[in-house]
Amino acid sequence: MPQLDGSTFPSQVLWLVVAFGVLTWLMATRGVPRVADILETRQDRIAADLDRAQALRTEAEKAMQEQQAMIADAQARARTALLVAQEKSAAEAARRERELEESLQHQLKEAEARIQAARTQALSELEAVATEVSRAASGHLLGLDISAEEAAQAVASARQGAQ
Amino acid sequence: MASPLDQFIIKPIIPIEIAGADLSFTNSALWMAISVAAIYTLVMLGTRQAALVPGRLQSVVELSYEFVASMIRDNAGREGMKYFPIIFSLFMFILFGNMLGMIPGSFTFTSHIIVTFFMAACVFVTVTVIGFMKHGLHFLTLFTPPGAPKAIWPLLVPVEILSYCVRPISLSVRLFCNMLAGLTMMKVFATFAVALGIFGFAPLLIIIALTGLKILVAFLQAYIFTVLTCVYLHDSLHLH
Repeated sequence: MPQLDGSTFPSQVLWLVVAFGVLTWLMATRGVPRVADILETRQDRIAADLDRAQALRTEAEKAMQEQQAMIADAQARARTALLVAQEKSAAEAARRERELEESLQHQLKEAEARIQAARTQALSELEAVATEVSRAASGHLLGLDISAEEAAQAVASARQGAQ
Repeated sequence: MASPLDQFIIKPIIPIEIAGADLSFTNSALWMAISVAAIYTLVMLGTRQAALVPGRLQSVVELSYEFVASMIRDNAGREGMKYFPIIFSLFMFILFGNMLGMIPGSFTFTSHIIVTFFMAACVFVTVTVIGFMKHGLHFLTLFTPPGAPKAIWPLLVPVEILSYCVRPISLSVRLFCNMLAGLTMMKVFATFAVALGIFGFAPLLIIIALTGLKILVAFLQAYIFTVLTCVYLHDSLHLH
């Protein structure tokens, strides 16, 4: 069996050491760093891409939050504006109502004043008529010629007595 | 008729003799050199383009790298990655030695016990030295199985020491025998195929099947040798 021929051992061991030594040296100094470099570059690239994707996602989330905040803000503002408008219109309505009431009051007063004036006038005319009537009546019935002043005085006292 | 063992004969190509020792450059040395050249060429050609998306050759190189890297990580832990270049070289060297040995007319240097034993002995010595350098005399606790009662230590410790010292033998003999047996068997069947003439197709079919098996064994033995190296390295780095 050639494997048991001890005379070949030194040569085999020597060339094994040389060959494996050279291979290990080549791999350690050139081969392995090159492969490691490629794998690392790829890993870095993937990690960088993932990082960028993460950053973009964060940014998008921030933008979404901003937008939501903006929407909420706009809604709040719209609500406030609505409330203000409601208050304003309510105040306006109240004011108008008050004005209307005032003008009605005014008209009522005017009307009352007019009625008062008409009544006063009517009463004064009535007095004149009464004076005239009492003069005429006393002239016809009693044959007395009463002066206008006396008749007016009598009518006034009679009226005061009646009152 | 040639003996099936003739394929293992060491033939000097460049005779060299120093101090009475025969250090000739032989067919074994030639195929070691071819293996080294093939590995170096593969790795260098594969990484030439350094593409982000690897091509076919680059994939082969990257796969080998990742294969050995995961083997070390899984079996020796992260600390073992320090020894990556030498373990990667070991795996590729044995793999190429086994695979190139499949070429008819070539020489399989891993079919010689002195080669596999020398490699296993180097692994054994290196791993033991690493163990003592890292843990000092505490490394000897490797021989005291944890959880075992102290009473049976006198029985267990010699067994542990024996099993530790047998490692280089089992490691080398496993690889050597697999290569030897496979190649011898193929040669025997090939002899039959020639001798049987027209009926030689039957052994020929067996040879075809054996070739497939041999490729598997060539890979598997390289893997086993390397993975056991990683396991031994793990013992040295982490004790248990």
